[in-house]
Amino acid sequence: MKTEELLITAAQAQLALPAEEEGRLAAAVTEMLDYFAKMSEVDVENLEPTTHALIRDNALRADNSNPNNKFNNNQEALIERAPESNNNFIIIPNVL
Amino acid sequence: MSKYDTFIGLEIHIQLLTETKIFCNCKSNFGDEPNSNVCPVCLGYPGVLPALNEEAVKLSYIVCRAMNCDLAKEGVFERKNYFYPDLTKNYQISQFEKPFGRNGYFEYESGDEIKKIRFHEIHLEEDAGKMIHEGDRSYCDYNRAGTCLLEIVTEPEFKEPQEAEDFLQAFRRAVRHLGVCDGNMDEGSMRCDANISLNLPGKGLGTKAEVKNVNSSRFVKKALQYERKRQEKILKSGGTVIQETRLWDEQRSVTESMRTKEQAHDYRYFPEPDLPPFRPDEAFLQIVEEAQIELPLARKQRFMEQYKLTEVQAEWVCEEKQSADFFEKVVSLGADAVTTAKWLMGNIAKELNARNIAKTDLGTDSCQLTEKRLAELFDLLSNNKIHAKIAVQTLQIIFDEDKNPTNIVKENGWEQSAEDEGELENIVKQILADNPKVVEQIKGGDQKPRGFIVGKVMAATKGTANPQSVQALITKLIEG
Repeated sequence: MKTEELLITAAQAQLALPAEEEGRLAAAVTEMLDYFAKMSEVDVENLEPTTHALIRDNALRADNSNPNNKFNNNQEALIERAPESNNNFIIIPNVL
Repeated sequence: MSKYDTFIGLEIHIQLLTETKIFCNCKSNFGDEPNSNVCPVCLGYPGVLPALNEEAVKLSYIVCRAMNCDLAKEGVFERKNYFYPDLTKNYQISQFEKPFGRNGYFEYESGDEIKKIRFHEIHLEEDAGKMIHEGDRSYCDYNRAGTCLLEIVTEPEFKEPQEAEDFLQAFRRAVRHLGVCDGNMDEGSMRCDANISLNLPGKGLGTKAEVKNVNSSRFVKKALQYERKRQEKILKSGGTVIQETRLWDEQRSVTESMRTKEQAHDYRYFPEPDLPPFRPDEAFLQIVEEAQIELPLARKQRFMEQYKLTEVQAEWVCEEKQSADFFEKVVSLGADAVTTAKWLMGNIAKELNARNIAKTDLGTDSCQLTEKRLAELFDLLSNNKIHAKIAVQTLQIIFDEDKNPTNIVKENGWEQSAEDEGELENIVKQILADNPKVVEQIKGGDQKPRGFIVGKVMAATKGTANPQSVQALITKLIEG
């Protein structure tokens, strides 16, 4: 992997990379990618891609709100788990 | 004319009218308290499993079918990975390789022409949450996160901003008729992004700019007009248009670059492992087929043809499915079609307005005027049991007192005696005899006092006489 690509990947993952680590990490990631690249050696010509090995039928849910769902009555507990919240809003640093 | 060809494409998002969200049973509701309709699934807590809403799939296929798409034999959900806090999972569940619908088209009116726009695809996805940015903080509300959202992507084949506006209005009407979306652009239940590029004739698509943040069909047109001028200016001066996303600024009527880093998006789509592909069976497709309706444009054309309505009348009647259904039901009960349309647009629209009853309430329990009552009212009118003025009063009482017109007319003693010509003639005779001076004036060619006589007759008959019959009698009795 080029250092340039590594920096873009790091930026997208919100990771700060120390400059002196860039070379070492680029090499390490390349090694990982090479490992995955082995898979491309397998001949998959004429094979249907398998995305879901175990589920064969449609899995659908009826469109009913369930007032007894324990989570539907416990929103506050869910919001409070956020690092910061106020007036039911989850608050984060401005991302605009 | 411009020396450039214009290519406009639209991406429309419509929120489907389901009770619950797409992957959890939280309520799908606009305007509730922040984060009151949330659960671990739509908040993206670890370890949760999405469960697909059957109704959302059904409504999606209904739209795809109505828009003449090839329906997917296998629809697959995929993860669209992006980092932004309006979705907590860091990916949006959407469709990519196998959307529910492909290669559709839709016909709409633009000016005097029927135009056709093709759809690239229609796919189902989850809506994102909402954020309010204030100072150094962003406030997140996830009520909207997970709302069933259908995205309709047109081919970049609109040539004029006006076509985009006309299409949007027609499309909005169609989804309302289908009953899949309320089409409320103010509340964001229908949203539109537009892309536009210019190029020299014969050169194909140019470099496009995408315009976001446009919340009405008129603003879509205005934003596109602005953007076309902007790009034309760049091209004419020998510059190049940058591919970017621009925001429409409603106050200043300009588009502005979002100034985000222009990195090519790589959403790293891959099939959502938690959701199996959806494969419609015969029974499901049958339901989709049965849900198909005559679309508003076709219906309007038929109303003009079959019922001889004017274009304005047909347009008014077919604006909402409820009003069109109401109209046809009244006509099927024996009423005259043109009279029904005229009354709907006139007297009835006035009463609805005054009472804050929506056009979409026609034919529902929220509207006291049922199809049967209106047909009955027209029956009284056409059989000369009452005249037009009394009919309008009866209409008002139908709304006020929730009663049948026949009963109202009886209770008020409004049965017109006009059909009893003999009795009416006697009344007119008597009044003429009581007012010899007036009769002389009329004989002398002065028509003004006629009104005086008509007024006397109306008073004597408590308003039930038909003014036209009275006029005819005056002529007959005075002029012989």
